[in-house]
Amino acid sequence: MHFLRKPLLSAQSENSGGNLEGFYYDNKIVKAFLIATVAFGIVGMLAGLTAAIQLFLPAANFNLPYTTFGRLRPLHTNAIIFAFVGNGMFAGVYYSLPRLTKAAVFSKTLSWIHFWGWQLIILAAAITLPLGMTTSKEYAELEWPIDIAIALIWVVFTINLIGTIIKRRERHMYVALWFYIATAVTIAMLHIVNSLEIPISMTKSYSLYAGVQDALVQWWYGHNAVAFFLTTPILGLMYYFLPKAANRPVYSYKLSIIHFWSLIFIYIWAGPHHLLYTALPDWAQSLGTVFSIMLIAPSWGGMLNGLLTLRGAWDRVRENPVLKFFVVAVTAYGMSTFEGPMLSLKNVNAISHYTDWTVAHVHIGGLGWNGFMTFGMLYFLIPRMWKTKLYSTKLANTHFWIATLGILFYALPMYWAGFTQSLMWKEFEADGFLAYPNFLETVTQIIPMYVMRAIGGTMYLVGALIMVYNLLKTAGSGEFMAEEYAEAPALEKNVRVSGGHWHSVLERKPVLFTVLAFVAVAIGGIIEFVPTWVVDSNIPTIEAVKPYTPLELEGRDIYIREGCNNCHSQMIRPFRSETERYGEYSKAGEFVYDHPHLFGSKRTGPDLHRLGGKYPDSWHFNHMLEPASMSPGSIMPSYPWLIDDEYTTEQIAAKINAMRTLGVPYEEGYEEEAAEDMMQQASEITGRLEEAGIEVSENKEIVALIAYLQRLGTDIKGQN
Amino acid sequence: MDLNFQNGEELFQFILLGILIFFTLILLIVVLNIFMTLKAVLNEKAGIKTEPFTLNNFWDRFNSLKPMSEEKDILLDHDYDGIKELDNHLPPWWLGMFYGGIVFGVVYLLNYHVWHWSPLQAEEYEIAMAEAAEIKAAGSDVAVSSIDENNVELLTATADLETGELIYTGNCAVCHGAAGEGGVGPNLTDEYWLHGGSISDIYKTIVHGVPEKGMIAWEGTLKPKDIQQVSSFIKTLEGSNPPNGKAPQGEIYTPEEAPATDAAEEAPAEELASVE
Repeated sequence: MHFLRKPLLSAQSENSGGNLEGFYYDNKIVKAFLIATVAFGIVGMLAGLTAAIQLFLPAANFNLPYTTFGRLRPLHTNAIIFAFVGNGMFAGVYYSLPRLTKAAVFSKTLSWIHFWGWQLIILAAAITLPLGMTTSKEYAELEWPIDIAIALIWVVFTINLIGTIIKRRERHMYVALWFYIATAVTIAMLHIVNSLEIPISMTKSYSLYAGVQDALVQWWYGHNAVAFFLTTPILGLMYYFLPKAANRPVYSYKLSIIHFWSLIFIYIWAGPHHLLYTALPDWAQSLGTVFSIMLIAPSWGGMLNGLLTLRGAWDRVRENPVLKFFVVAVTAYGMSTFEGPMLSLKNVNAISHYTDWTVAHVHIGGLGWNGFMTFGMLYFLIPRMWKTKLYSTKLANTHFWIATLGILFYALPMYWAGFTQSLMWKEFEADGFLAYPNFLETVTQIIPMYVMRAIGGTMYLVGALIMVYNLLKTAGSGEFMAEEYAEAPALEKNVRVSGGHWHSVLERKPVLFTVLAFVAVAIGGIIEFVPTWVVDSNIPTIEAVKPYTPLELEGRDIYIREGCNNCHSQMIRPFRSETERYGEYSKAGEFVYDHPHLFGSKRTGPDLHRLGGKYPDSWHFNHMLEPASMSPGSIMPSYPWLIDDEYTTEQIAAKINAMRTLGVPYEEGYEEEAAEDMMQQASEITGRLEEAGIEVSENKEIVALIAYLQRLGTDIKGQN
Repeated sequence: MDLNFQNGEELFQFILLGILIFFTLILLIVVLNIFMTLKAVLNEKAGIKTEPFTLNNFWDRFNSLKPMSEEKDILLDHDYDGIKELDNHLPPWWLGMFYGGIVFGVVYLLNYHVWHWSPLQAEEYEIAMAEAAEIKAAGSDVAVSSIDENNVELLTATADLETGELIYTGNCAVCHGAAGEGGVGPNLTDEYWLHGGSISDIYKTIVHGVPEKGMIAWEGTLKPKDIQQVSSFIKTLEGSNPPNGKAPQGEIYTPEEAPATDAAEEAPAEELASVE
């Protein structure tokens, strides 16, 4: 049953004169994406909450490999980013795009291919990540077959987007569309460049880039996934839904223009701020810092255009839950886009990096900006699409308050934890010794904060559940409008429109606009990448650094599979407090055979880059089996399956070959001897374990992992 | 300005600085307000009418906002699905921030990469290490930091042994048992020792570990004094005969009259050398 609504013709003043054409807005695709948004939002939050609980209650991994922190954390981040925010973004785009262009979406078939393709990708992620199939690259953990599927579905989305814009009946493109276009082209570029990898099998690949270069590409991608997946599309949604809900004109068209172009141009450069004080060349780090600082104003332009649009509508904010959510979302956006640049300053980053401060920062953005924008949009859309009123404003307000408090309960303890732990790491006593030489001491100190964070997360989740109930009740009380009828005059072909403002000319040329947006986002990456690839002095070679032995390589793949890099960095910064604790600081030349890099971004446990030779093999064996047995009070999960499961030598030849293709100097024909060398090295390790009274056969995974851990950072040990 | 807080005191000073800046800003606003008031008075005398400063119009001026009543003058004639746009000016403070960011960027790059005024990270590290060596040389308690396996003495004071027991419980008990009865590691309560049972042997074993047997080196985690205390505590365990004692390993240790070495004088130099 369709409810048809005729649009007001007066709204079409600019285009009047053409023949009126009738068409339908497709609400079904919006509905599908909205359901997926809500469902995956809850799943993603549950995964996050479980991971949070594991930090003070390691047993919350149910003693299963699949739900252990190192595998669960990527599941949480992927679910929230790509399933929750992603589906929300698509829902918003499929609702606003046809209305802003006065045209039906380019192709319904493509819409549904987009929808089901995206859900299948999410399903594939939900299966492969717990199984440990991961590239280890943050927010790009999915393996290569899924990467290809993502690229294809993204192309489908882009065709639908640009196609609809080309078919439009509205001569100019509204600012929301600019943001959608920038999102489409940039994500395609980021995803493809960052995911270039050599497949070993259907479920395993090695990154094309090594060490520092891989880290640079990864954080160019990672930072701009935040920019172009979590920010630009959501700004587009803000530009549609906020003025709609407030029934107020957008504050400043000029501001839209300048903040849009400056935002997309500057954002792309800022990635290296994730690698401050690492082995990344200084000039690249500095670019990351300065472009982050320059980014404050462009980001705040978006916040201002949101908040000042509410001028004269603040009385309505009090009564309207939709606006309430939007106001907090935009405020959170302003907060985190100010905090981000501050964290990019070297001296602040020296404190914040590797700690929970970063976690707090992303959750202000994630819970506040992305979450609240999505919630606001849901409360706006469901009553409209079901032609009814919101079931309960009271419940929506309850959701608002409990979620806002949830954010505070989440973020404040995390800030506290990050700050406290960082100062403990850095504190020296007068006699020149670290005040807290045992890393674990700095962890046990902040466990109460982890408990409070989990309470905050629970509140946020409870709020979301209240929303689900409210929205179901709302939908139940109305009747779904599958299509809405609209009319608009056709755009006259070959009409000369007087020039006007230069940007308004650009708004009439979607293809040119898309090309220019692509140029704007391509520049930063090119300038940062090319020198690190072609100028040797950026990665000084170290003679002593040799490729991994086959067993170490196998162990490294196990390290990647278990997601150890989610809690352990392999990048010692040039600080006295770090070299005192871990050993010589990390050099770029040490990582030239690391495909992918495993620098890590968070130290829930200590850095591992100089772990090799620090502990006996037997210590590692006992520690992996039961960490608390070697480090009382440790919150690291147990890995008993590493002692039961066996690695195979079947893939090692393919791995050696792939590495050689990538430039790792294994001799020709070495792949034939690799399996034998593996067994040789394994029996040395089991021999040492036996001396310590541990019986384990050579083909167990733990043996390969020990081989890798004992190799870490030893190439230049004692050289300095 | 170096913002790498080393301890709570520096953080406190930083917060204090923040508060001072805050009050300076308030003072600045007050002065500015007086200036504006004076200007208004002078203007009035000259016959120019000035809008008085109020909190209400401050925000509008701050953002260069048109009064709501004049909004229709700046309403653009576009209409996107009912959404209209205003042609407001860019807020002046926002524009200032925009240009400020760019200026910051240029100066920052010049500073680090052209003028070399501020040290890059490798140099920064060298400076920090040199400073630390100085502070250490000046302020360290020679008697404590120079303890090593050659000069370590058995402690017998109750306070030392109690501290030693705490260290033992926190670090050693997992492998050697809560009462020293042994577990992954050997029994520490019998008279058999794998690597010698004198205070100096025990000290040495703890400092360097016995990697091939699974004993880790503790020198990075425990300080010399800590190791002395825990070694002394371990010496008290002998003959305590706890339940579930692990079978003896190694050889019976019989104390000999070991001459106490007096190497305290040489030690500070070594200590310094190890920092490099």
